Amino acid sequence: MKTSCLVSLFFVGAALTLGTAGCIHKPNTGITPLPDSNGSRTPPSRGPENVGPGPGTTLPPTPPPTTSVDTSNGIPFDSNANQWTKVIADHNEDKDTLKSDTVYFDFDSATIKKIEDKKLEHVAAYLKAHQADALRVEGNCDERGTEKYNLSLGDKRALAVREYLVTLGVDAHQVVTVSYGAAKPAAEGHSESAWSKNRRDDFVLLLPK
Amino acid sequence: MTNSQFIPAQGCSSPLCAFAPLRLCVELSFLSVKSVKSVVQHLFFSLALLAASTLTAPAGTSQDNTPIVISNSVTKLIPVSVTGFTGEADSVLKFDLSVLGLELTAPDQAQYLITGTQDTRLAGRLQQGGPGGATIFARIYSSGTPRSQAHAFADDIAKEIRGTAPIFHTRIAFCHKMSASVTELFASDFDGHDAVQMTHDSSLVGTPSWSPGGRELFYTSWKTSFTQIIKHDAASGQRSVLAGYGGGNYSPAVSPDGSKVAMILSKGGSPNLYVSDSSGGNLLQLTRERDDASSPTWSPDSREICYVVRSGRAGLRKISVSGGTSVALRTGGISGDLTSPDWSPDGKSIIFTAGSGSFTLWVVPAAGGEAIQLVAGEDPCWAPNSRTVIFTRRVNNNKVLSLLDVPTKHVKDVIQISGSCSQPAWAR
Repeated sequence: MKTSCLVSLFFVGAALTLGTAGCIHKPNTGITPLPDSNGSRTPPSRGPENVGPGPGTTLPPTPPPTTSVDTSNGIPFDSNANQWTKVIADHNEDKDTLKSDTVYFDFDSATIKKIEDKKLEHVAAYLKAHQADALRVEGNCDERGTEKYNLSLGDKRALAVREYLVTLGVDAHQVVTVSYGAAKPAAEGHSESAWSKNRRDDFVLLLPK
Repeated sequence: MTNSQFIPAQGCSSPLCAFAPLRLCVELSFLSVKSVKSVVQHLFFSLALLAASTLTAPAGTSQDNTPIVISNSVTKLIPVSVTGFTGEADSVLKFDLSVLGLELTAPDQAQYLITGTQDTRLAGRLQQGGPGGATIFARIYSSGTPRSQAHAFADDIAKEIRGTAPIFHTRIAFCHKMSASVTELFASDFDGHDAVQMTHDSSLVGTPSWSPGGRELFYTSWKTSFTQIIKHDAASGQRSVLAGYGGGNYSPAVSPDGSKVAMILSKGGSPNLYVSDSSGGNLLQLTRERDDASSPTWSPDSREICYVVRSGRAGLRKISVSGGTSVALRTGGISGDLTSPDWSPDGKSIIFTAGSGSFTLWVVPAAGGEAIQLVAGEDPCWAPNSRTVIFTRRVNNNKVLSLLDVPTKHVKDVIQISGSCSQPAWAR
């Protein structure tokens, strides 16, 4: 099963590469397709303590840690195998169900505003009622930061909401994060009315296939 | 020795080929190397030819051949004249000279006269301006295209007038916005010429960083709908995942000695600074803060990293590659968010972006001190000469790549691919 999956992935990658050939200038030949979300490629020489559950890896079960996890800098992404690992690696996306729960941030801030509590309580309740689903929190920024700065700020916004959901009783393993920086604005334009719509976390449900 | 070996292959994406020694003086290019004897004979002949045709000015007489001094008083552009060239060689030469902070003017007002001719070869002469101005050098460039011959001549002029290392055969990488949700990575000559598409992932890609000599590109990919840091061999196209942990994996920066990669990971719950070896192993967490870290850049000795922490406002900090306590970099004379630093290859300066929404480039001594305002722009990256900087300017709804001559604050846009280009990284 896994082998056939990888083989088909290879062909998808190859087809993508061929399909986009002939753009500006001669394309770079021999480019390696990137592993897809359930790809097998893992970083070499990675110590077991550094292995995340995350997107590029499918991990063997490991026993739960016996020592308490340091959460002073946020909720870590640990390597425990769990029911959501497979969903996170291979899923169908649902962008609609929690669309109206998008939370918004003040300029240059990753602090969750009091006014957003109701939305997050709704998201938490949904996840607790739908234990098979996982959630991807997508952090976004307005255009008033440099690219690398916005990547980190968007990441922090997604992590802040993940942390908040955990305080509401959601299992940390059920929530993953991604930052888009300012690359995916919800509203075009160069004024506060657009910016305020772009400083946000979107919620995408990851449904088991 | 044939000329063809110096011509970069069409579509060659490796900047290595661009680093081949493109300058061949007349005496060597005529050689048909068959025996040591003939080499010696030809060298004698060539040296005689050179002595006859060239009056070399004594070293160090050039008034402007001074170290780069960055100060609040803008250094003036140096007036030069360019005559005798046509077509691509002419335009390339003039573009390069402008990048160096030289200003084209009439011969009678020029501090330096740049003259020459071209057919299949380019013959160039640099001499002092004024009546009977001494020749500084006269050389013939016979290898490569007219474009590369002009670049080689401009590099020699840069060495004499500005005292800087050659940059006109180096490459850059940048992100090109293909559609609303797709960016792809491109590599091109420093001036935007010969752009080659490096990725074909139909997803977002960002934050490119070259390994030394331009052998590999490291960048952030959203191909999996999460972030991964990718290591991409520029010549073979071979790719591997350097970091694909839970949480964010982005903003790789390769150390100048090529042995390590600094990056931002949030697998611990907050975006923090990490460093690994160049294949992703031996990962070490350098910062442990709740405030998000971003934008690592290396000292030239690969022992320190300058990065940004958003703590109230964003500021620059420095930390040892082995960890320990980070220290704030003093940036006097400026307030607001300070982001996207880049450490100069000579180790003297750190250039960065200040502001939110409208951005300005500033430069500060690497040890900290008073910051100097440069020009409007963001995401700066030094050239190997520690004088020229490539950066992004926002023009209407697009981002364009521009070159800045730091001491003169002279700005020159690179050849643009239509649409938005950003996040330039200079191979050095």
